[in-house]
Amino acid sequence: MADVAIPAPGTARRATARTALRLVHDDPQLLFASVLLALLAALAALGPVLWPQNPLALNIGEALRAPSPAHPMGTDNVGRDVFARFCAGARISLSVGAIVTAAGAAFGSLIGLGAGTLGGWLDAVLMRVMDAILAFPPLALAMAVTVGLGVGLKTATLGIVLTSLPYFARLLRSEVIKIRTLPFVEAATAIGAHPSWIMWRHILPHTLSTLLIQSAAVFGYAILTLAGLGFVGLGAQVPTPEWGVMITNGLQYALTGQWWIGVFPGLGVLAVVTATSIIADRLRDALDPRGRYAHL
Amino acid sequence: MIRTVGGRLLGSLAAIFGASVVSFLFLRILPGNPARLILGPLASQQAIQQQVRLMGLDRPIYVQYLRYISSFFSGDWGFSYSNGRPVREVIATRLPASIELGLYAFAFAFVAAVVLALLSTYRHRPVVDGTVRAISFFGLGTPPFWFGLLLLLAFSQALHLLPGPEGRLGPAVAPPPTVTGLYTVDAVIAGQWGTLGNALQHLVLPAVTLGLAPFAYLVRLLRVNLLEVSREQFITVVRSKGVGRWTAYVRHALPNAFLPTLTAGGMVLAQLLAGSVLVETVFNWPGVGALVVDSILRQDYAVVQTFILLSAFAYVALNLIVDVLYGVIDPRVRTPTGAR
Amino acid sequence: MDEVLLSVRGLRTEFVTRDGVFAAVRDVSFELRRGEKLGIVGESGSGKSALALSIVGLIEPPGRVVAGEVELNGRRISGLPDRQLQLVRGKEVGLIFQDPMAALDPVKSIGDQIVEGIRRHRRHLGRREARRLAIELLREVQVPFAERRLADYPHQYSGGMRQRVMIAIALANEPDLIIADEPTTALDVTTQAQVLDLLDRLVSERRTAIILITHNLGIVAEFCDSVHVMYAGRFVERTTVEQLFRAQAHPYTEALLRSVPRPDRLQRGPLPSIPGFPPSLAHLPPGCSFAPRCPAAQEICRDRAPATVELVSESTPVLAECHFARERLRT
Ligand SMILES: Nc1ncnc2c1ncn2[C@@H]1O[C@H](COP(=O)(O)OP(=O)(O)OP(=O)(O)O)[C@@H](O)[C@H]1O
Ligand code: SF4
Ligand SMILES: [Mg+2]
Repeated sequence: MADVAIPAPGTARRATARTALRLVHDDPQLLFASVLLALLAALAALGPVLWPQNPLALNIGEALRAPSPAHPMGTDNVGRDVFARFCAGARISLSVGAIVTAAGAAFGSLIGLGAGTLGGWLDAVLMRVMDAILAFPPLALAMAVTVGLGVGLKTATLGIVLTSLPYFARLLRSEVIKIRTLPFVEAATAIGAHPSWIMWRHILPHTLSTLLIQSAAVFGYAILTLAGLGFVGLGAQVPTPEWGVMITNGLQYALTGQWWIGVFPGLGVLAVVTATSIIADRLRDALDPRGRYAHL
Repeated sequence: MIRTVGGRLLGSLAAIFGASVVSFLFLRILPGNPARLILGPLASQQAIQQQVRLMGLDRPIYVQYLRYISSFFSGDWGFSYSNGRPVREVIATRLPASIELGLYAFAFAFVAAVVLALLSTYRHRPVVDGTVRAISFFGLGTPPFWFGLLLLLAFSQALHLLPGPEGRLGPAVAPPPTVTGLYTVDAVIAGQWGTLGNALQHLVLPAVTLGLAPFAYLVRLLRVNLLEVSREQFITVVRSKGVGRWTAYVRHALPNAFLPTLTAGGMVLAQLLAGSVLVETVFNWPGVGALVVDSILRQDYAVVQTFILLSAFAYVALNLIVDVLYGVIDPRVRTPTGAR
Repeated sequence: MDEVLLSVRGLRTEFVTRDGVFAAVRDVSFELRRGEKLGIVGESGSGKSALALSIVGLIEPPGRVVAGEVELNGRRISGLPDRQLQLVRGKEVGLIFQDPMAALDPVKSIGDQIVEGIRRHRRHLGRREARRLAIELLREVQVPFAERRLADYPHQYSGGMRQRVMIAIALANEPDLIIADEPTTALDVTTQAQVLDLLDRLVSERRTAIILITHNLGIVAEFCDSVHVMYAGRFVERTTVEQLFRAQAHPYTEALLRSVPRPDRLQRGPLPSIPGFPPSLAHLPPGCSFAPRCPAAQEICRDRAPATVELVSESTPVLAECHFARERLRT
């Protein structure tokens, strides 16, 4: 690692882009995953433009309609268009996934970097707290947080962020400890560079790839957990077009024949999570053949 | 050997201690008066004051902790106001359902993982391997409650092969006389074969639903290990003795690949036994998972507190069992290294 | 002279990799007689192990034997279905592998691993009898306290002891041919000598034929009757041991010999090693595959692959694949 020449930023970016393209081209599963994710992102972003139906508008007269050209995914028990709700759900899930990943990566990394570089009692305390978080089933912990702070989408997100912290913190800490002993970092320390400077200049760049892999895994995990919380009523609340909430709603009607209410949102979760876990898997193969991060 | 066993026991004790501290602090972290949290929003002022004395909330914190622990071990787990019964009774009625479901789910996850991992890595067949990998991605990416819904749609609603979400037994079937609380076992003990069949039918879909994600996780782990082991030289050596490909694979590659999976298996089982709200909700399964969520929602924290500690016990116990199993299966753990 | 035991004709083994298909063994032919001790030498990656595995049909995907014939005891064994090859492996041919630390199943006892081979080919034997045989085998390969050590596991054996177990496994059914792939590389000098003595005794007692694959020309000089030099998947020189050390028909052989430290040529300074790298099998040069590294290379070497030249030098036959083999031996 230490003796790899660092190319100029521009070439690096171009090379990365080309490598990424080649990877996708060589691997049909990866291609499939990327296309799927792009498609869902497009639906999330452009849904209201492409399909200008209000996901919240009730229309009892149109309730429980099977999928048709007018309602590609049918309508639910109070006549809301399931496709419009599906797109809105994609927006919620992807945003929560992104927020959790970003926040978890930022705070988790900070904790790990701090614990790893500063060491001592701070390290011990921080890591014990992280262990304690990991000891709980993630769903139960997220539930406890939401209940403590009041049930809703925001608190659910917060709870999921909390459960994601240890994955990043542990990863970064172990990376820091490993890198700290590399010759060039030791040299920087010897010539009196400040710890935070060393962290910024030397350690972060080296951990970016592992961070990326972990982020992809956490993204899928966040979406799955959000849907679970929504399903048991501890996440997004009822009219919100969140996929987990929609599945709960669909459950009652599935057994009387209106399968589409619950099946489509579930497909959405499945698609996002599968796509990200395939991407995480391939990232790992490409960047980190030995595997240092946790499987979620 | 003695030292490692001692070390592990010490580790387990530490883990239990940690969990007991967490479950003890649980009520104190939540905003509000712990006595009120335990008794619920409807308790009278007088009852709360009595509870404060009972819990020793006016005493130093370590005394409170010691009281909590000693009453836990003496079997006094508190009172569940939302059920109107002692926590121990409430949990005792729910736990067997979760344990039975968890065991069947684990059996499914485990057997399916071993079989599919063997198939996917045996003889380098990309199509089989690709299919198994796709299945495992599906298993990891599927929301379990949604998968349960799909299974119900297919096997209950469309094909009428298996019962719908009606819990552990059909409405017309009486539970067998309680011995273990596991209906399938109790039915066998009582010789009620009809009840056994009915209970098994009701277990299929929930067990598969609950076991799907653990299955996917185990199959991935086992697949990688198998790939690694099957490249080892000793497999070629076995083959050079004239042993067939499949025999070499099952007799030599599998046990070696299996060892690193054991720890993961123990953790998976511990989680499964603790019940799952998501799956229990879909199938109306009367387990602890649903009980705990109900209790959270109704702010009946005595139940939650007990549940935390009990899961910690299960977790620690299973880890100990796994350690013992390692000793049985892996000679490198059982006997000292080095030439005699 | 003894009858021919093994005959290999035009054996070719290919591996499919990301970078394309390449042949690790390229149309190799040779014969082996009963009681013969043949050495195969060559650099790492020249295809020695691949050849050994190809002979007994143990090449696994992504590798494949694509051409050639192998005859053992006058019977064709190449191309047989695996079920029938299983009856040959461990019975007529015993294999000894490179790395004793990796060659035994870590979770099965030594006894079980020897018994497995015995009972595979002598199904009528009971467990007890098979165990008795296993003890005898361990005694024969000089494992002390054989009876007690049968129940031990590989991690309780030292490297040398494990290699003896490997030999016991290979000997279990008194094979006619033993292929030993670097059986001594991982061992210290004393153990090396003991293992070679053991193999030597076998040959004289049972007329077993041995193919000994090694990097070590010293071992070849001491142990073998004849020697084949492998380079980039082909035998570039085949002759007797005496002849090989007397004069080398192929420049690669000469370079190999020169890279060996020899006590009679005590020298200071670094050992001469063969300049350049072994060729990538995926991108072999069009002419002689040794040409890029050959000090004697001429124009013709880069254009045309040399054919096998049959020579006789001091009444020993020499087969070499070099355009100038004849001239080289004459000078
Ligand atoms: N399973 C495999 N997949 C791809 N290539 C392989 C495989 N096994 C062997 N090879 C290739 O075949 C060639 C010959 O390998 P082989 O192991 O026969 O060499 P060797 O002469 O035995 O070397 P060494 O002295 O190091 O044992 C090498 O280039 C190697 O990379
Ligand atoms: S043919 Fe030419 S290049 Fe090849 S070994 Fe002979 S002299 Fe060297
Ligand atoms: Mg080799």
